Amino acid sequence: MVALAIAPWILAAQDRPATPPVQAAPRDTTPPAAYFGVTEYQLARQKLELDMQRGGFTVYIIADMEGLAAAVRNATEMRPENRGGTPQHQRFRQELTDEVNALIAGARSAGATQFIVNEGHGGTLFRNVLPELLDSAAILIRGYPKPIVMSTGINPMVDAMMIVGAHANAGSPGVIAHNFAFDSFTVNGHVLNEAGIAAFIGGEMGVPMALAAGDDALTAETREMLGPIETVTVKTVFSRAAAAGLSPAVVHRLLRVGAARAVRRVKAGELKPLTFAKPYQVRFCLRRSYDDWVRATVGGLNGVRADGGPGCYAYTTESAELVGNLLNEVEWTVLKP
Amino acid sequence: MDRRITLLLLLLLAATVTIGAGAQGPIPSARDGFRAKRVPHQPGFRVFIVPDMEGMGSAVDSREVLAGNEGAAYRDRSSPDYWDRFRLLLTKEVNATIRGARIAGARSFVVNEGHGGNLFANVLPWDLDSAAILVRGFPKPLLMITGLDSTFGTVMFTGAHANAGSPGVMAHNFAFDAFTVNGRTLNEVGINALIAGEMGVSVSMVSGDDVLVEETKQMLGNGVIGVVVKRAVGRSAAITYSPAHVRQLLQVAAAEAVRRELRGDFKPFTLERPYRIELTMRRSYADSVVTAVAGLQEFKLERVGDRTFRLVTNSAREMGYLLDAIEDVVLR
Repeated sequence: MVALAIAPWILAAQDRPATPPVQAAPRDTTPPAAYFGVTEYQLARQKLELDMQRGGFTVYIIADMEGLAAAVRNATEMRPENRGGTPQHQRFRQELTDEVNALIAGARSAGATQFIVNEGHGGTLFRNVLPELLDSAAILIRGYPKPIVMSTGINPMVDAMMIVGAHANAGSPGVIAHNFAFDSFTVNGHVLNEAGIAAFIGGEMGVPMALAAGDDALTAETREMLGPIETVTVKTVFSRAAAAGLSPAVVHRLLRVGAARAVRRVKAGELKPLTFAKPYQVRFCLRRSYDDWVRATVGGLNGVRADGGPGCYAYTTESAELVGNLLNEVEWTVLKP
Repeated sequence: MDRRITLLLLLLLAATVTIGAGAQGPIPSARDGFRAKRVPHQPGFRVFIVPDMEGMGSAVDSREVLAGNEGAAYRDRSSPDYWDRFRLLLTKEVNATIRGARIAGARSFVVNEGHGGNLFANVLPWDLDSAAILVRGFPKPLLMITGLDSTFGTVMFTGAHANAGSPGVMAHNFAFDAFTVNGRTLNEVGINALIAGEMGVSVSMVSGDDVLVEETKQMLGNGVIGVVVKRAVGRSAAITYSPAHVRQLLQVAAAEAVRRELRGDFKPFTLERPYRIELTMRRSYADSVVTAVAGLQEFKLERVGDRTFRLVTNSAREMGYLLDAIEDVVLR
């Protein structure tokens, strides 16, 4: 997901510019003007189902970016030029595409027949995978906003979910660690990171999260949340913006092997969907760095009620998809096109 | 309709339009000269292709289809790192369409830029199938259908987008929130199909997202072949397929379109004359744009609402000229 509000002072502490820093433009604090129409989430799911073949084995891959091989810095590597980034971002789009292709190749070698890739990184408004270089068998869901953000269209015909380029939870000691727009997010008291939230929404559909790839903080915490799923550790964290990384070529090989193992383990019934008792008690706190209008907007969303302090809310529902829908509303509040 | 009768009608219409213009004032503008021009003639079955960009495979965001030089309003709506990539994808989609049409026997191809990004200059001329004649740049007499005449066998629209107000990717309709002829709502494909229909040329294929394909099939009602290259899940988000897969779909559909056109399967799209055209300028435009449209001297526009105008005419071609004039106001 997007790392939206890395406070300028954090960046300043990391950079040691030779020249005096340019005064940063004040943050845009106006609410987004018009809602960019989003297809109702159930209709979006039906549309995806139209394109899916029955039978076979379908893998749903969430493509995030912070946990890619070699990626360490949000400002320069995760954002395109037109959103304050640099041309280096283009190289990481290629790396993202390579890592997704490696997962597809590995899963295919273990018998997977259908591949759905859902863009999961918001810094570029969910347009990062290079369509012309992605494995041509894959369906690619891209653009922003889209229903259920990182789990658009997830449905019971999917056999396994995987997440690549994933990052550790907000507050964890990981590279560019964050969790959507939250400082904390729990369902029935269980702490979930972005991979965990996707696993929760997929879990309701009977789909297990079978593989997560990212830094060592991400893989450790995700195994804690979801049990012994396949993980691929691509780098060892040294700070929020530093890590010891394996060669991308090595990472691609690990991803191929890991994806093949993940598919075999799902087929063998070793990996179970993540499920919680209903109704789901969702509690979350928005990032403290957000302005009052963000809290006011999110606090006013349908079904959201104040809970334990400023910026903290509760939401009770019988549907994990509706939690995903709520995530989209929150994203739309904080991430402007 | 018989080609000769069509031609005769066109000549008559052209005469009417000329006389009409004369009555407004004796200014023989360069425009009149341009309007009389034709693309070079080529033998064999002729295909007229109108590539737009919003409905291309993979495209979901305006930054992918705008160059940023289209006028002040679009300056921050672009991202060359994205637009550049999509120019190549666009060109390859057109090439796939040409390839398919050629397999079915078509021999002449005219490609008319249908997308206003970079002011109607998006296809990469050096990468386009070398058999094609490419109409690029702006302004041009009939905008999206410039260069079409009755010698063409069929029209194909690629990368088309759904109508303004439809739940499609980057859905819009020229500069309008609403556009009707004789009370029937038309999207961009429909508007241009009407002009083509008046020349006796039918639309055989249209590609775009699922919303565009559905609405266009209903609008034209002639069994036009629709190619769904993505499914909209938002105004700027879609379920998309590999560009290679999309090109395959286009190639197969274009071949099928030419075969069926040769069998006479598709009727040209026509409506009863006189055409009662009503158009509503987009709410988002400044009042000055609406005022400028009201001031277009050449056309007998009647203002019937705050942003709504009416034109009654016997010539769909005149409607095309009006679109060019309005686009000129908007993109200026």
